[in-house]
Amino acid sequence: MVYEWLNERLDLDRFKKKYLTKVFPVHSTYFFGEIALFSFVILILTGIYLLFSYTPSSRLVEVGGKKLPAAYHSILLINSQPLGVIIRYVHHWAAHIMIAALILHMIRVYFSGTFKKPREINWLVGMVLFTLAILAGFTGYSLPFDVLSVVATGIGYEIANSIPYIGPAIAKFVFAGQFPSPGSVPRLYMYHVVLLPLLLMVTIGLHMLVMVKQKHSQPYQNKDIAKSGKILGIPLYPQQLSLMMFVFFFTLSVLFFLASFLPVHNVEYFGPPTLQTPMVKPDWYLLWIYGIIKLIPGNWVIPLGSSASISPEVIGGILLPGVIMTIIALVPFMYKEKEPLNYWEPASLRPIGTSAGVAFIIMFIALSVTGYQAELNIPITVCRVYTIALPIIAFFITYFIIRKKREV
Amino acid sequence: MADKKIRDFYTTRRKILKGMLGAAGAGALGCMLVPFGTIKAPSGKKGRQKIAKGDRLVYAVGPNAGKEIKVSDLAINKGTLAFPKGKEEHNNLILLFRAKESEFQKPTKINYTVDGFCAYSAICTHMGCTVEWYPEKQFSFDFPHLFCPCHQSVFDVFHGAKVLAGPAPRPLPQLPLMISGGVIAAAGDFDGPIGPQPGGK
Ligand code: HEM
Ligand code: FES
Repeated sequence: MVYEWLNERLDLDRFKKKYLTKVFPVHSTYFFGEIALFSFVILILTGIYLLFSYTPSSRLVEVGGKKLPAAYHSILLINSQPLGVIIRYVHHWAAHIMIAALILHMIRVYFSGTFKKPREINWLVGMVLFTLAILAGFTGYSLPFDVLSVVATGIGYEIANSIPYIGPAIAKFVFAGQFPSPGSVPRLYMYHVVLLPLLLMVTIGLHMLVMVKQKHSQPYQNKDIAKSGKILGIPLYPQQLSLMMFVFFFTLSVLFFLASFLPVHNVEYFGPPTLQTPMVKPDWYLLWIYGIIKLIPGNWVIPLGSSASISPEVIGGILLPGVIMTIIALVPFMYKEKEPLNYWEPASLRPIGTSAGVAFIIMFIALSVTGYQAELNIPITVCRVYTIALPIIAFFITYFIIRKKREV
Repeated sequence: MADKKIRDFYTTRRKILKGMLGAAGAGALGCMLVPFGTIKAPSGKKGRQKIAKGDRLVYAVGPNAGKEIKVSDLAINKGTLAFPKGKEEHNNLILLFRAKESEFQKPTKINYTVDGFCAYSAICTHMGCTVEWYPEKQFSFDFPHLFCPCHQSVFDVFHGAKVLAGPAPRPLPQLPLMISGGVIAAAGDFDGPIGPQPGGK
């Protein structure tokens, strides 16, 4: 009835034929991107709930004789609501899951070779998305304004502040004065709840648009089954949609499960900011940068005239991560393809690329382990050696395995 | 002939229109960006008041926060965070500890220590975290040291807070001490710049 009424006016039948029949190829690794997308949806929904009670201010308020930052106090109030603490943990866990899913998604795209022509655009858009997600995680981490937030965000400030010439101006602009100034929390809050979600939505939209326009790539087995130019898979409605709904609800329930049993960022335990600094580690997805910072010797200074220099913090915190991310972003442009690639390409056809991919993954793991160097009691020189040696070894092992396989 | 003229006439008009549209767009974008350049950041915990001779030290944390530190309060191997009284700014945070006077070696300024008391800036020169006093073994360091929890820099308290491990670029500045009326006081300001230096100076 309603459908009929709307159809007469909006021609829904045309929409149905054109879009709801869009074909989705089936492969379990296609769900990484979807999990990332659904985590983002859950972040928005839980974020809106948190916005109802969160106070973006570091001003001290008097609570039962104690002075607490207003933001920290508002988190305590959220925690005391019947479902407040669960929603907070779901929000925090969703941030972890989103970034983990993005990484797995990138790994899938990389090893299936589908970053190649014509999908270079979406590889770049994906890199932007990944960077925005990390920035959202960093700004979100600062909001509870407990002792960990203040230390972690302070380190971010100091890294920006140590850039030669323009660093102090950038740091003051981004953090609204010397962190933690009265303007810092409102500013970080604005980034976290307005600017970054908006940018993320636009970038995700672009990513989807390009994907729909270019059509999915497909697993290479499909090449032999489907006619060329046709996609072998299931239609969006009803098959793909029910699968997606399943993935959404599954993600949501896993998040609630994690939030119930594994508390993250327990503000009561960490406590409000103090003069003392607790043992801090960044979230796991920034641990590799932390590892680089630890590896760079304190005397690695590149002098720039008399008044400035490139300090080890800038080398470790900005330059090297920047170079690594740029190399990853430029991957599609290292291949020259005449024909557009629409089927997955076996990783063994790109021996150097695949070996380099494995080497990069090993490097990220090695750097993250270096983050725990003091706790594991590994001398820093050993860390320096294995961080360089292991990726190289991994490269050659992978390379020779591929060669062997090809000879057979 | 006439055709070409007419075409040229219209294409030039189109070019002018495109140019004007571009200029208007750039102008509008500029107008929207300029306001951001004029935002003034509220001032935060910027500078610090210099520590002067005779400024008494008070506890910075713990139940005694704000109370003066008596010589008899700290036994050997004990340490605490302290502030110069009346100048309790973050960058004035001091790490005060006591050891055997005979253990101090150059480049520690021995004339800055008094009765085994020695004080360094508590702000790590790497990225500004607060260093901690570890009188006992920790990781592979089995002697008293200052330790930064952020990136595990280790400072040798008996050798002018020299960096033994970790990424800190400089030793911690030392604070001259004296005893006045049974309490610890500063005998002047720190002997170097506090914390990380902006712009990689
Ligand atoms: C990619 C997207 C996002 C990521 C990665 C992210 C991540 C985080 C993280 C890690 C925290 C700290 C949570 C804690 O332990 O307390 C946080 C807090 C917060 N987020 Fe998000 N978030 C995202 C999107 C959003 C959105 C869209 C909103 C609002 C519409 C939002 C609102 C908030 C609020 C109000 C807080 C402070 C409350 C709290 O800390 O519990 N977030 N976020
Ligand atoms: S802040 Fe102290 S070691 Fe990095």
